[in-house]
Amino acid sequence: MVKLQIQDIEKKYGEKTILNKVNFEVNEGEFLSILGSSGCGKTTLLRILIGLLNPTSGKVFKDGKDITYLSPSERGMGIVFQNYALFENMTVLGNVEYALRIRKENKNNKGEIRQKAINMIEQMGLSKCMNKRPNELSGGQQQRVAIARTLIINPDIILFDEPMSALDVDTRLSLRQEIKNIQKEYGTTMIYITHDQEEAFAMSDRIMVMREGSVLQLDTPENIIKFPAGSYVEDFVINNLKIKIESLNKFVNI
Amino acid sequence: MKMTATKYTNFNKTDLTKILLSIMFIIFVFLPLFNMFMNIDIDSINKVIHSANFKTVIMNSLFSTTLATIITIIIAYGLALCTERVNIKYKSIFSVIFLIPMLIPSISHGMGLIFLFGNNGILTNLFNLKSGIYGLKGIILGSVIYTFPIAYLMFVDIMKYQDASSYEAAEVLNIPKWNQFTQITVPYFRRPFISVFFAIFSMIITDYGVPLMIGGRYTTLSVVMYQEVIGRLNFGIGSVYGVILLVPAVIAFIADILNKDKGSINFVNKPFEPDNTKWKKILSYLFCVFISMVTLIPIFSFVILAFVKKYPFDMSLTLDNISKTLNIHTGEYLLNSIIIALLVATIGVIIAFLSAYMSARMVSKTSRFLHLSAITSNAIPGVVLGLSYVLTFKRSFIYGTIAILIMVNTIHFIASPYLMIYNSLSKLNKNLESVGLTLGINRIYMIRDIFIPTCRKTIFEMFSYFFVNSMMTISAVSFLATTINKPISLMITQFEAQMMLECAAVVSLAILFVNLLMKIVIHFLKRKFSR
Repeated sequence: MVKLQIQDIEKKYGEKTILNKVNFEVNEGEFLSILGSSGCGKTTLLRILIGLLNPTSGKVFKDGKDITYLSPSERGMGIVFQNYALFENMTVLGNVEYALRIRKENKNNKGEIRQKAINMIEQMGLSKCMNKRPNELSGGQQQRVAIARTLIINPDIILFDEPMSALDVDTRLSLRQEIKNIQKEYGTTMIYITHDQEEAFAMSDRIMVMREGSVLQLDTPENIIKFPAGSYVEDFVINNLKIKIESLNKFVNI
Repeated sequence: MKMTATKYTNFNKTDLTKILLSIMFIIFVFLPLFNMFMNIDIDSINKVIHSANFKTVIMNSLFSTTLATIITIIIAYGLALCTERVNIKYKSIFSVIFLIPMLIPSISHGMGLIFLFGNNGILTNLFNLKSGIYGLKGIILGSVIYTFPIAYLMFVDIMKYQDASSYEAAEVLNIPKWNQFTQITVPYFRRPFISVFFAIFSMIITDYGVPLMIGGRYTTLSVVMYQEVIGRLNFGIGSVYGVILLVPAVIAFIADILNKDKGSINFVNKPFEPDNTKWKKILSYLFCVFISMVTLIPIFSFVILAFVKKYPFDMSLTLDNISKTLNIHTGEYLLNSIIIALLVATIGVIIAFLSAYMSARMVSKTSRFLHLSAITSNAIPGVVLGLSYVLTFKRSFIYGTIAILIMVNTIHFIASPYLMIYNSLSKLNKNLESVGLTLGINRIYMIRDIFIPTCRKTIFEMFSYFFVNSMMTISAVSFLATTINKPISLMITQFEAQMMLECAAVVSLAILFVNLLMKIVIHFLKRKFSR
């Protein structure tokens, strides 16, 4: 089932075209990576999807409904940023429960919300950090808090804006697994922006390769390897992957 | 649909705030200045330029200010080297002592020197000195004491962000010390030195407190302007002098903007290891103790004058001077000052915070206008601002009330606190607003629950800055105060003129006491909230 439909999205700043008639669909429960080097327009696209930016033209549909000009908070989407953007003055618990606690309709069930937040934090493996502040946490822990903060508002689509580029390799691997687990458990549709080929191939159901504001290829990892659409995809995606694998093999074969 | 409607009204609220702030800056910054320019006529210009001592006054001002600025910078730089680069003990005590002169009016510094070195001065009598403090010497000494704390703070800040790694690399490469100095230190400090120089220069040249008190026959621009306006009510001539005084301040302002490092560094790879060399430590102790004495001795002279019956004739201790001072309306004026300072601090923090929030967290033309307006006030000397307020608001209902004093102080002091909070807000994560939007947290909640608590320490600092400066200022308020709304700092000139020096000393001590109290309260508040 199609969850999100992007139709002829265009973004221009004066003469400069950032996104050039982008069209694609995302299926329910799918993990889609948007892969491209910096400046390819992937972050602009993400900001348009969640409503932080308006497109110059084109439409975004969610569950068949036009959401192009809906405000970010009424789209039922969440977003996780690269640099976490946590509330530095609040504890982990405060960060996670804040958005729900201040809603008028939740005036009388603060206890319920607290319990929900506590469960969420435990699920993310952060029970020990419940009352710590962001600056006392590692990068990986901070990113987990950011994910929990997004999950608690029950989005059915979560967008990730290069969430791991500031983390070390070990943390990336474990967080990767956790994100996949969350997706399975909640059935959330996930759109994941990255410039890391390996990450995209390891996590995604499908990968969308972008360059200079246009979509070059959108397919499963397997098909992209087998039938790369053009020399850029081959160069940027496949050759880079090969180099990584070769350098690994060198050591394994010894 | 409902949410879009809310979004729309939110947009309007921030827009409305921007417009209101802009109007406020236009009315209280640009309109008065414009009025002052309009008040100048050819006749006044001729009178000023052809007055007998015009050339002398200009030369006096330039000469004394340049000399005092250079001495201030050398002393402040030396002190910053001692506390930041040499491993001495009691650093925090020294730096507290160095900042004491910032807590009392400039006029008190002039008065302190007279108490010590004047015809009947404490040190004059004690060591049988010949009194020669009046004139150039006194102006320079007083101005240095008045401004070195500011320069010291600026240098400490600059040194904190200097990186030691380039010196380490130079050591490894065997580059001689002299070359290290010319190749690393000089280029690093060139820009900051220019900023500090202009800041101190315009502070000294526009101050009338020190030269009025101790200048004797050595007349300076600011004193002439003060006398023309206060003594002779010559607003036209005063305005001409106002424009002249605006020149160095505007140059300083432009130099500072041109001089700003574009990619300013916010982190240090490798902080400096304080030097442990013995002779450097001994020298540092001597210098710090010496400057501490220079700072504290005038304060002691206030204490002596205030608590002794009649110096030097009757040296018995008494509290009479205090009750005498408080009885002649001074108690009311002290209360006036405290109320004004508290209101300036509260209103100032709100205006500075909102302006900085608009300019640091939102990009638009109005934001840039707000930013420019807020820092422009730095270029307007207090006396000039005060005069332009007289010309503009004389017939308005706020004239003669404390409201006009609150406004003039808020505008006069807004630049520094504005920049403090602007820097703090700019450093916060750029995605916070996006997070708020996607989680459905509206802007007002974000400000109340995230931005304000995160910047709490800066806000305390701002409050303290506004308060302390409003308590001690004699510049902008001098032209605007009436017998009803007079702040206590202005009583010093009056007591001095009536030869009631002991009362002037009591007033200086009262201001120092209130300001110290505020500093202590802020210190504990900051500690309470730092975790």
